[in-house]
Amino acid sequence: MEKAFRLGRYGSQLWTREKAKEIRADLIRVLEILAVGDVLVIDAAGVEVFDFSFANELFGKTLLTLPGEYPGRFVIVENLTEYTKENLSKALESLNLTIIERKRAKLALLGKVHPADQETFTEIVEAGEAISAGALSKKLEVNLTAMNERLSKLTGLGVVRREKGSSSSGREQYVYRVMN
Amino acid sequence: MQKLDSKTFDDLLRRSHVFDNGNAESVFDLTGVELITPAALVQLAAAAHVLAGQGKNTVIEVDDDSVRSYLVRAGFITAIDGVAEIRPYLPSSGLLTLRGTNPLLIEVTKLTDASTLPELLDQIVWVLQNRLSYKKYDAFDIATAVSEISQNIFDHNLNISGFLAMQVYNNGKFLEIGIADNGDGLRNTLRRNRKYTHLSTDSDAIHHAIRLGTSEHDDATRGTGLYHLLDLTYKHEGSVQIRSGTAKVRYRMDKKQGWVFAVPNMPGVQIALTLPSK
Repeated sequence: MEKAFRLGRYGSQLWTREKAKEIRADLIRVLEILAVGDVLVIDAAGVEVFDFSFANELFGKTLLTLPGEYPGRFVIVENLTEYTKENLSKALESLNLTIIERKRAKLALLGKVHPADQETFTEIVEAGEAISAGALSKKLEVNLTAMNERLSKLTGLGVVRREKGSSSSGREQYVYRVMN
Repeated sequence: MQKLDSKTFDDLLRRSHVFDNGNAESVFDLTGVELITPAALVQLAAAAHVLAGQGKNTVIEVDDDSVRSYLVRAGFITAIDGVAEIRPYLPSSGLLTLRGTNPLLIEVTKLTDASTLPELLDQIVWVLQNRLSYKKYDAFDIATAVSEISQNIFDHNLNISGFLAMQVYNNGKFLEIGIADNGDGLRNTLRRNRKYTHLSTDSDAIHHAIRLGTSEHDDATRGTGLYHLLDLTYKHEGSVQIRSGTAKVRYRMDKKQGWVFAVPNMPGVQIALTLPSK
């Protein structure tokens, strides 16, 4: 299930941590009813500007608590302007955080992203289904240990979900996907 | 002294000794002053509130008619109402209706909580776009910087007064924004966090405070405000002065380590931001 959270209804110029606290309380209420694999889409259409304190409180705090408090749920953002995208990216970089941005149906990572992590994320998205660490390591020609490290990081950031699957020989293994 | 600004304000403090004497009445002698900038105005307002908190009466002596008139138009008389008096006496009644009518001026405005900010930021964005030829997103950058500094006032202090004022100069060549409070100051605020108990001087505290992640609060999402203030000031080729306690540091793109000055003690944090037109 995908649930939209329209940021624009709170105004086009979103200033201060206090404002973000109010909005975050609403956002948490939506997050709480989501099940594993569900997606919360923060729709930033109509928002012209937010300051760093706002971004830190709304996006930063939500992303920091997501893997621990709402494991398996995804929070993504879409319809950012060039300006809000730059500010959000700077805010997340300063917090060592990453969010999934959806732009014209394409998914990419925004914030603090190492090129190797971006590459792995893109490969999982393009696979179109859950994929194992072994398959990814072959595709990207990276040894399995390094790939497991990348996947552990992406899972910890809440941008990739790990689930149990089985190999072609029937053995149990972990597989990775980005949303359903 | 002909001009009272963020630089000469410390000369005034040195002369008046208001924070290091036991007198029941503190006098700021502005005789001869012909121009006061927003940064000096908010510092003076914050100083008057500090002294009132110490049970002292503050007197500000002003003789120049244009300065006296400006103090009224700039909302200064309202900001010090009940904590200081102008000599010779200067009434403020009847002039409140002028507030908001000059687009090149943001009158001294008391900042008590986040709700006061959006309207002020709107006005700053308007002035930057319409008087200093800033593009919309550039104007948003400056509003963001001002928002971050202002939030520091009520994020880190309880029951204090913060003030903001702005003035455009030379037909839109540049503007100055002053923000000041009478709170605990950067060193005392940061020292409430165990990580920063080693900070022994105000200049150390200022240098730490501009680093990413330095905050009173042990919270990963805090401690970004002054860092972004400097980043945005450099981006728009402005300069910023941060004053706290007995230190003052002026930062500019070509002097990122800052010019450090020893200044007379004054509680709180005072910031002056100067930006050129585009």
